[in-house]
Amino acid sequence: MSGGRSPGANAAPMAPAPPVLSCRGLTKRFGGPEGGVLANDGVDLDLFAGRVHALLGENGAGKSTLMSMLSGAFRPDAGALLLRGEPLVLRSPAAAMRAGIGMVHQRFALVEALTGAENLALAAGGAPSPRAAAELAEAFGLLLDPKRRVSELSMGERQRLEILKLLACDARILILDEPTSVLAPAEISGLYGTLRRLADQGRAVVLVTHKLPEIADVADEVSVLRRGRMLARNMPRSQGLPTGWDLAGLSRLMVGRELPGASSGRQRRPGASARETVLRVRGLCGQGQPPAFADVHFEVARGEVLAVVGVAGNGQEALAAVLGGTKRPARGTATVLGREADQALVAYVPEDRHGTATVPGMTLAENLLLSTTGSRGAYLQGGAGSRAARAAIAALGVVASGPQALARDLSGGNLQKFILARELSKSAPLLVVEQPTQGLDVLAVSEVHAAIRRAAEESAVVLVTGDPAEALALAGRVAVLFRGRVAGVVDPGEAGAFARVGRLMAGLSDPAAEGPAGPVGVPGGKPGAGGRP
Amino acid sequence: MRPVRLVLEPRQASGAWRAAISLLSALALAGLLGSLVFALAGVDVGAAWRALAQGAFGSSYSLGEILVKAAPLILTGLAVALCCRLNLWNVGAEGQFVLGALAAGYVGLFLAPAGAQPWPAHFALPLALAAAALGGGAWALAPALLKARLGVSEILSTLLLNYVAVLFMEHLFYGPWRDPAGQGFPGTAELPEAVRLPLVMPWLPGARVHWGLALALALALALWFLLARTRWGFRARVLGQSPRAAAYAGFHSARITVTALCLSGALAGLAGAGELLGVQHRIQDGLASGLGFAGIVVAFLARLNLLAVPLAALFLGALLVGADQLQTGLRLPGAAALALEAALLFGALLGEFLAANRIRLVRAPAGEAGEARHAS
Repeated sequence: MSGGRSPGANAAPMAPAPPVLSCRGLTKRFGGPEGGVLANDGVDLDLFAGRVHALLGENGAGKSTLMSMLSGAFRPDAGALLLRGEPLVLRSPAAAMRAGIGMVHQRFALVEALTGAENLALAAGGAPSPRAAAELAEAFGLLLDPKRRVSELSMGERQRLEILKLLACDARILILDEPTSVLAPAEISGLYGTLRRLADQGRAVVLVTHKLPEIADVADEVSVLRRGRMLARNMPRSQGLPTGWDLAGLSRLMVGRELPGASSGRQRRPGASARETVLRVRGLCGQGQPPAFADVHFEVARGEVLAVVGVAGNGQEALAAVLGGTKRPARGTATVLGREADQALVAYVPEDRHGTATVPGMTLAENLLLSTTGSRGAYLQGGAGSRAARAAIAALGVVASGPQALARDLSGGNLQKFILARELSKSAPLLVVEQPTQGLDVLAVSEVHAAIRRAAEESAVVLVTGDPAEALALAGRVAVLFRGRVAGVVDPGEAGAFARVGRLMAGLSDPAAEGPAGPVGVPGGKPGAGGRP
Repeated sequence: MRPVRLVLEPRQASGAWRAAISLLSALALAGLLGSLVFALAGVDVGAAWRALAQGAFGSSYSLGEILVKAAPLILTGLAVALCCRLNLWNVGAEGQFVLGALAAGYVGLFLAPAGAQPWPAHFALPLALAAAALGGGAWALAPALLKARLGVSEILSTLLLNYVAVLFMEHLFYGPWRDPAGQGFPGTAELPEAVRLPLVMPWLPGARVHWGLALALALALALWFLLARTRWGFRARVLGQSPRAAAYAGFHSARITVTALCLSGALAGLAGAGELLGVQHRIQDGLASGLGFAGIVVAFLARLNLLAVPLAALFLGALLVGADQLQTGLRLPGAAALALEAALLFGALLGEFLAANRIRLVRAPAGEAGEARHAS
């Protein structure tokens, strides 16, 4: 991915221009005055016009709290904001917007039933005008049809619409929270081009992220938050390094310790030897009109990881639900060891941790009984649930006060580890994991990946993810879904695998598919496109 | 002068503390609204509250009457609370109450009279109670199926069926079930002794407390056990808190919904049977006196805690008994009792809100003022 950054276009000042927005000693505490969590502890930060600033930090480091104070959603307990040197008190996001500070949240704030132009009018005032909206989009080079309803827009288009909303309000400081998490690789470079242009026009852009390599191309300077404290502030690019950044050093700053079992060895493709086929998917079609996915064929053997990747909305969510047994297919079959899949045969980690995989208001002991069959019979085996929950907590090092902790009180990473441990405890022949590391910090990601690798030693694993890097790191084969069909199957070992997955995800033609050595999995879904030569 | 604003923020408090806040604000608001009603009705507010307390706790007779009122209130409160725990709104307890009474009345009028039945006489009461549970449950079956299969709102269907049930009951006691020896008064004949719920203290004249109260208390315990300790109850709680998690776990959500609504109807039906077999002894005007609707107040006053339902029912029962004194002593209309009941429900809802959020007064610094803050 190329951010199109040219050092000359960067408005990095010779004589330092004053920052457009500064934080001095921002402090925010949640909970009681003595106890509670110190989310931000005396944070200083300077934002400059013309620069793209990357704010790095793990989940829970205090990035969101800091940005919420900059964008008016929270008020600091102590410290000050300075806008062009003048003290600034923000009482609401609307007040921040009036001061020229706008934020694109990770979860978009768009009215899905309205068109893009109408959403713009809601944000900026005035009557909806598709023409004016189209002109605005044109002026900033943001491809978008403002007459279409938001519900019909892709995630990338929605994000562009959110950015347009800020521009329509004449924002001079744009904050984007984890903007790449919803995008395909091709869209990410488009986003970076946009951000570069906006910065070059004299705006200050802040990228909040925990994915370090992604921002290497576009960022002009980097700050690192850990546990509410600013550990490195406004670090410029160092021209001596190949990527411009000491990625390893920044990673250590973020995490504060070495990652356990940092992944290098991706899973080898199992030999053609006597590997037992566990999952057999034949002509599977999803519900809906048009079907969410169609004509999917593949097989997964014990000891193998098959990744199914796609940009959100291309059918992999429905496919995961069918494989996980919570939805029925319209046609076709998915059998596990020759039998119809059920809870005993499939361990399923769905994407939604709070509300689907767990009930937030119930204890871990109760949540453990949700999908396991450990206590049959008329009565709830509370004791068995507690014991099994304690075992799950110990198995993957979940940080929780015990089996009686409520699921909603666990952090995303700890809850995900608990869910994974629960599903692994079933020792089912098939494990289906969906978006297992979305929103997790670096440490939790490596732990979850290690657990999936261990599971793959005994079971067949289907990994459904929107992150091609994750798929390539874990899987022996990567099947790419585009508009509900298998657009191609990529071997992570082949040269240029990452680029090829990216092209397939974006729906671009696949040159390798025509080549003689191309793995099976023809667009159009020829029956038997299994991917096992 | 610097303006003052109200700031609303989520409260971090323990469960017990929340319950206390909820109850205290419920009582405070109910007291405030009640006083307003008294003032508007033109009576001395202090005298009205004293009359109320006197009416509720002034004599051993009134204490007994509180228990008489509490028995059906416990059951209808359980019926509403059970559904609410599943995120279902059964506002049809009144209709299910009536159908339960009619089913029990049928057994009493046509199956139980001496000589008419082929079974020993002491089978009559259990049979009438079983019929009442079936009748109430059956009245909830149609809304339950509509909800589970077609997604029809159970709020509307259960509410509307209340009117059908009351009209059907009136049709029966004005028409085919009217007592031939009743000298033209609308109402059925008195039910035979065999189906009546025996009095707890038959030696005390005027003490109308019947064994339906014990039945209600036992059912509160049983229902708590069902929800907290059985697999079905676990599934129901999961479904109530997160339907997606229930689907993920492979629970039969439609079946659980139907079962819960019918069980709720059965409880309300038993309340109707208790009122008929224990207190009124004949089906007549006034049998459906809003005890089903009052179950909603009881359920929320108990904060949907099944073990707290009996306490809430006692409290509301005391209020209703006391309010009778307002009618006789202060010549307030009978609607005063309903107004107090409504004040209590509003209080309970506000209390729930205050338990989850806290409101702070903040003196705004000079400059930007009067702008509402939206905590996300």
